[in-house]
Amino acid sequence: MILDSLTVDPVSFASATGWESKPEGLCKGDQCVPAPEAITADGRLDVSVVANKLGMAIVEDPDHGAFALGPESGGHALTTTTVPDLPFTDADGNPFSLNSLHGRKVLLVAWASW
Amino acid sequence: MTVALDLDPSKTTEWIAAASPTHPSLLDPHHLVDQHLGINNVPMAVWIDETGTLVRPPESASIEPSPLRDMEVTDDLPERMQLMLNEVKKLPDVAEDYRAAIVDWIENGADSRFAMAPHEVIAASQPRPHDHSRAAALFEMGCHLHDTVGKDAAVPFWKQAHAAHPENWTYKRQAWTLESTPAGEASDMAQEVSDSYGTTWLDDVIANGGGAAYGITPAL
Repeated sequence: MILDSLTVDPVSFASATGWESKPEGLCKGDQCVPAPEAITADGRLDVSVVANKLGMAIVEDPDHGAFALGPESGGHALTTTTVPDLPFTDADGNPFSLNSLHGRKVLLVAWASW
Repeated sequence: MTVALDLDPSKTTEWIAAASPTHPSLLDPHHLVDQHLGINNVPMAVWIDETGTLVRPPESASIEPSPLRDMEVTDDLPERMQLMLNEVKKLPDVAEDYRAAIVDWIENGADSRFAMAPHEVIAASQPRPHDHSRAAALFEMGCHLHDTVGKDAAVPFWKQAHAAHPENWTYKRQAWTLESTPAGEASDMAQEVSDSYGTTWLDDVIANGGGAAYGITPAL
């Protein structure tokens, strides 16, 4: 996730990472991590606190005023088997929702021209 | 469905057009499937059931043996090409078994012996230490800078990403091909030019155990 500051609105954070801010904490699939200190006074998330809680790496490029947040770590690459609705587009740039395929078996194949 | 990981989607359009697919053919230029699904090379696949739940972790995905395996490696080929083909021949080949497993899952769904329970899928996915999270952040930063500033701004971050997660081949292959592909041409697959990164696909494959260790072979 690319950020221009180290606070983020919970909705954008959930959309990008799959981690939702709920009363019981930060939750993804069946997993919830208590993190009351991650909520700022104005209802945003303190990314530094969240990153520390979830093992997410933060990379900064001060020359261009950008931060990049990596995925959670400390266990396996998969923490849940629920597939997030990733922001894919088709070749024409139209958004495509993975959730639109519910009801069908899906073989998702990653490839590249290289 | 297919998801193309080219940072420059224009490199994929001719392939998609030639295939004339009836399935969704999507783009993921910043390799979000690596972060969210554990993909670390191509081609790889995951199986998703009707509820949107993974029933197999990311694995190398081929459904027919590559013709390169049968290619004769002759002495008149350039030495590096000989070495490359010899490593390709060492790649584990379970293509026919993988195809049969897919068919079995299609026919039997959750009763297929190849469909895994959630705890099995998670346990079978690769470990993710903090360095791998850092690699993902570094790679995504590089992609962001490539898109907004230019390739030279991305290279330092991609170099760090490669060092932080040496087993992630999508980060490497994407960066290398940008170096080795002449402007306006189709993506170079050999990736033998790497002034910025100091290594090549062949050198890294050999350094990381050779073709036999390249990829995640489906455990069928």
